[in-house]
Amino acid sequence: MSVDVLELTPIERDAFAEIANMGVSRAAASLRQMLGEQVLLSVPAVHIVTRETAAKLAERGSSSRLVAVQQAFEGPFSGRALLIFPEAQSLELVRTIIGADQSLEDVIDLEHEALAETGNVILNACLATIANVLHKTMRMSLPTVIRGDGAALFAAPPGGGDLVLFLYIDFTIKSRDMHGFIALLMDLPSIAALKEIVQDFIENV
Amino acid sequence: MPAEASALQTTAVLDALDIGIVLLDRDARVVVWNEWMTRHAGVTAAAATGGTLVALFPGLAATRLPAAIEASFTDGSSSILTHSLNKLLPLRDETGKELLHNAIIRPVAAGSAQQCLLQINDVTVAVTRERVLRERQNARYRAIVDTAPDAIITIDSDLSIQWLNVTAGRLLGYEPDELIGRTLDILLENKNDLTASFLQLPHGPGEAGGALEIVGRRKDGSLIPFEMSVARWKADDRTFMTTIWRDVTERMLAEKALRQSEAQLRRSNEELETRVLERTREREVALAQLYESQKMETIGQLTGGVAHDFNNLLSVILGSLSLLKKRLPDDPRFTRLLDGARQGAERGATLTKRLLAFARRQELKLEAIELQNLVPEMVDFLRQTVGPNVQIAVDIADDVAPIMIDANQLELALMNLAVNARDAMPRGGLLTIAGRNATTDRGKLPANLPPGEYVRLTVADTGEGMDEATRKRAMEPFFTTKGVGKGTGLGLSMVHGLTAQSGGAMDIASEVGRGTVITLWLPRAPGEAVERPPPTAIEPVRDENSRSLRILLVDDDVLVSMNTANMLTDLGHDVLEAYSGVHALRVIESEGTFDAVVTDYAMPGMNGLELALKLQARDPQVRVILATGYAELPTNAPVDFPRLSKPYTQEELAQALERLFK
Repeated sequence: MSVDVLELTPIERDAFAEIANMGVSRAAASLRQMLGEQVLLSVPAVHIVTRETAAKLAERGSSSRLVAVQQAFEGPFSGRALLIFPEAQSLELVRTIIGADQSLEDVIDLEHEALAETGNVILNACLATIANVLHKTMRMSLPTVIRGDGAALFAAPPGGGDLVLFLYIDFTIKSRDMHGFIALLMDLPSIAALKEIVQDFIENV
Repeated sequence: MPAEASALQTTAVLDALDIGIVLLDRDARVVVWNEWMTRHAGVTAAAATGGTLVALFPGLAATRLPAAIEASFTDGSSSILTHSLNKLLPLRDETGKELLHNAIIRPVAAGSAQQCLLQINDVTVAVTRERVLRERQNARYRAIVDTAPDAIITIDSDLSIQWLNVTAGRLLGYEPDELIGRTLDILLENKNDLTASFLQLPHGPGEAGGALEIVGRRKDGSLIPFEMSVARWKADDRTFMTTIWRDVTERMLAEKALRQSEAQLRRSNEELETRVLERTREREVALAQLYESQKMETIGQLTGGVAHDFNNLLSVILGSLSLLKKRLPDDPRFTRLLDGARQGAERGATLTKRLLAFARRQELKLEAIELQNLVPEMVDFLRQTVGPNVQIAVDIADDVAPIMIDANQLELALMNLAVNARDAMPRGGLLTIAGRNATTDRGKLPANLPPGEYVRLTVADTGEGMDEATRKRAMEPFFTTKGVGKGTGLGLSMVHGLTAQSGGAMDIASEVGRGTVITLWLPRAPGEAVERPPPTAIEPVRDENSRSLRILLVDDDVLVSMNTANMLTDLGHDVLEAYSGVHALRVIESEGTFDAVVTDYAMPGMNGLELALKLQARDPQVRVILATGYAELPTNAPVDFPRLSKPYTQEELAQALERLFK
């Protein structure tokens, strides 16, 4: 694989960032709907980095204890999408979604399922938008909840390569002082496929 | 397998599944509706097939389910709708109880056709299990925190009360509901107590600070002392603090009581030490006194014994001398020698008398005496004794009670004291003799004196005084500060012996250069004083013509017996000698009655008194003279026999016999 494959041109980077931003915007809308609160998004950052670097980026600015809702996607390009929070905030997030009238104990009981469903809504919205924008069909798996540090979240699957495309968008729930981010991980073949698709997309615009 | 059989097989499998399966076509109409759905939704497959889910269950229109189904077609997305965030189908179990369920929505590609698969999972069991587990855990947790004897209150970082146990409500007098959401301040006397301690708290989770003394305020305003421990912990990024309040009212009271009793104990200890010191001092004094009195007692016994023997010897010498004088020719050379010998023997007799006085063995004639009379009568005599340089002052109070004492001995004692005073004042001075009633107050009497009524007679001089060592030994016999040959060392011994024998005591106070005060504590006489009889004039010696008597002389000392026999024979009497009481009785048995019996008192075996009593029993008219060297007669002697004090002269013997026949 040639060196240029491993790097995104500025125009590729901008295009992909914009596409991702559309997806996350819809996800944010879904989250806003669920929370009834305003959700703010950062400008997306797109990098091709090692898994190790990705893990460090994920832990940046917060505790190393993280909780993530993860969904795999398959299609012209494949990978994993993760919605990541500091673990300490996950209960508060669920509590916000379920409603304050529930007791803390009930929230604890429901935390896992509610978190999975919430992540599912957000990630579905994000991925579906990306697929739609690129006019591609994708299949998305059911969500799973992972807890651990950055390394655990970004561990390579068997036979997976070390380099990943790391797309990172911060979101902040304004009134709750909560924040999280969405990350897309793709291995090299998928990155190459995505580059081609984005190239086509740019040409068609 | 033919297609029809295959379809049948698939239907059988679907109906056998323990989850709900619904397959929808691109128009969201039901294509497959398995048996599980029929059973729990109460809608048959026939009724469900061909319709939309919203048509079957209109309530679904308001849920995310239609959108999720649509997204599976348009976006290929899989969705999960859980019971936690959604209320989906009205499913019930066989007993009619509502089923908690999750729905999974997946796109299914069946060839070119797009379908959507719904899987409905019954999670009632799992949810119930979790709830039961939680309740069980909660029950255990409540059992711990609600039975805790301490108040447990959880607050957040704004001191807002989040939770409290039963004990907290009870101790502070609130219903639990009243406190949730209030700030902790209302439970404290002083808010600063707590704020300060929170600042000092370690920041790690679960780390506890040290115990803090605070004062809690009950709902009724009363205050209780608490010992509070505080631990900080975090949940969901929020900081909480658990405060545990221990009521230390009892402990504070106990500590106060302990402090008081410790102080009490310390005081008691100090008192005890003081008392022990006092007692030790008293004991030392008592021991010293006991030692002194034992020493005096021993010396007394020794001197008494010696004096007794000397007395006998002097009796023999005096008796023999007086007889010798009668028989020798009236030659001045003989007479001078005899008189010298007699005077020497008499001085010896005086010495032994003093020794016996000290040993408290002299014979005392106790009688009631008034000092107001006795002392002034003596003054002229004393003046001669002390010489012109010494003035004498007499100060006997008018109310001084009569005392019980031997008057002659008291005079002798006063004279001894006056002589001592004179010797202490070689350049002259003042001698004061004073008498006062002594109080019965125990504290003012000498230690060895029993409580009672006494008269205090003091003889004070303004002389040289004596140092402590001298003062302590002053009463010992033969102890003297006077030059060799000038004093016998028996003066104060005699006074001491007299007072002790009379039931009184003697005390010496002295300071070098400031004089000496001798105090005699003398027992008061019971009742009125008797008029002191004037001293009887010594009757003339009986002449040669007086009646001759038949006399039995009893004495165990052959020398004394022989001497007395000589004197009696010389007086013209008939004398038979016996050497013991038993011997005397035998003599009377064989020789018949005697006109008189003269017996020594101190004899081995039967003593003189016993002999006298036996004789009296035989013949009540019997005449007996008891010769005693010292006060050895028991005071409760049943019969009063005439006594003759040893050593006696022939004249005294003759007078005694004469009185016997008056």
